[in-house]
Amino acid sequence: MLMKRALVSIATVLFLSVGALWAHHSVTAVFDTSKQVSVSGELTSIDWVNPHIFLYMKGKPATGGPVQEWKIEGGPPAWYRRSNVTKTTFTKRIGQTITIDGYPAKDASPYEWMLKVTFSDGDTMESISAAEAQKAK
Amino acid sequence: MTSRILSTILAVGALTTLLAQQGKHPDFSGIWQYSVATAAGGIKQVVGGKAVLAAPDQSGRQPAKGGVAGALPSDPTPTYKPELLAKVKEADDNQSRMDNTFACGKPGVPRLGPPRKIVQTPSELLFFYEDMSGDQYRVVPFASKHRDDVDPSFNGDSIARWDGDTLVVEATNFVTETWFGEYGYIHSDAMKVTERFWKQGENMAYQVTVDDPKMLAKPWVQAARVIKPSDDLLQETPKCVEDDAQRLTNKDHHLQR
Repeated sequence: MLMKRALVSIATVLFLSVGALWAHHSVTAVFDTSKQVSVSGELTSIDWVNPHIFLYMKGKPATGGPVQEWKIEGGPPAWYRRSNVTKTTFTKRIGQTITIDGYPAKDASPYEWMLKVTFSDGDTMESISAAEAQKAK
Repeated sequence: MTSRILSTILAVGALTTLLAQQGKHPDFSGIWQYSVATAAGGIKQVVGGKAVLAAPDQSGRQPAKGGVAGALPSDPTPTYKPELLAKVKEADDNQSRMDNTFACGKPGVPRLGPPRKIVQTPSELLFFYEDMSGDQYRVVPFASKHRDDVDPSFNGDSIARWDGDTLVVEATNFVTETWFGEYGYIHSDAMKVTERFWKQGENMAYQVTVDDPKMLAKPWVQAARVIKPSDDLLQETPKCVEDDAQRLTNKDHHLQR
């Protein structure tokens, strides 16, 4: 039940995101949104750039496989900034073990669209739908 | 002594004139809400067991609900000349390949949107922007004639005038590589963009008209938007590095500006 609710929630975020991300491709142009991947490992660096930020980690999927360098894509800096997330939110975690849940790349490379980050101390950060974000107003 | 008194009188006179001019029209100086589209939702952070939700206020990006007093009648889309419809459709169908903003290109006026910060003086306006492509500015003099000594540019050559209490900024002399809207809205070198600013209480109403006699059957008046004042101070925009083009598996795209 919890898993089903989580999937519905993520699907909602995706639906809304596909229509409204900023000045770039849709998530579905690069990522397979019918699947999910959970990658854990060491956060190694951050590219805080437009039109999408990137995180890099040495990690492996929960389903198994070798440790590789994973490239994680997120939204635009302006969106994070106005959602109370800055580059420092991530840079202060460099060297720590994190887990990122998201969509895998369609080309099966170690590349992921970020939906949720779980930091080593248990703090989390995740995308929420526009409807849920209304509660923030 | 006489000349000193005369100088003082002249200085006081000039200052009085300046103050009178400043008091005559609305003052748009200030910081205005960030009005570029980002993601629809927001972010939930759980820090130390406490959940915090946050999301950008994107109302300045959208047409104002219920219309705006003082706005011109608008159309949802531009009306191109029939012979250009196929070309516009081709551009729209291939946004992620043909739209230069995809690869960090400057959006140009009017896609740049309303200014994030305005400094208004009696002689000119300074507009500052935070854009994905980089930080931009426009210097807009109150003038009746455009400059004739500048090359075409992304934001064009802009001049300002007052129409009652409405600030009217007219821009011409554009490069043709920009679009004036995300749906393949191409234009010619004859494009003229008119931006109207007027006060709505503490808010700023903003409405754009695009005219291009070579390509449009009639000027396109966009829906007015309402931009709120903001305490979100300007910050330097992170650099733009497009890195996904080689991974695209389809032509899907999303809303831009």
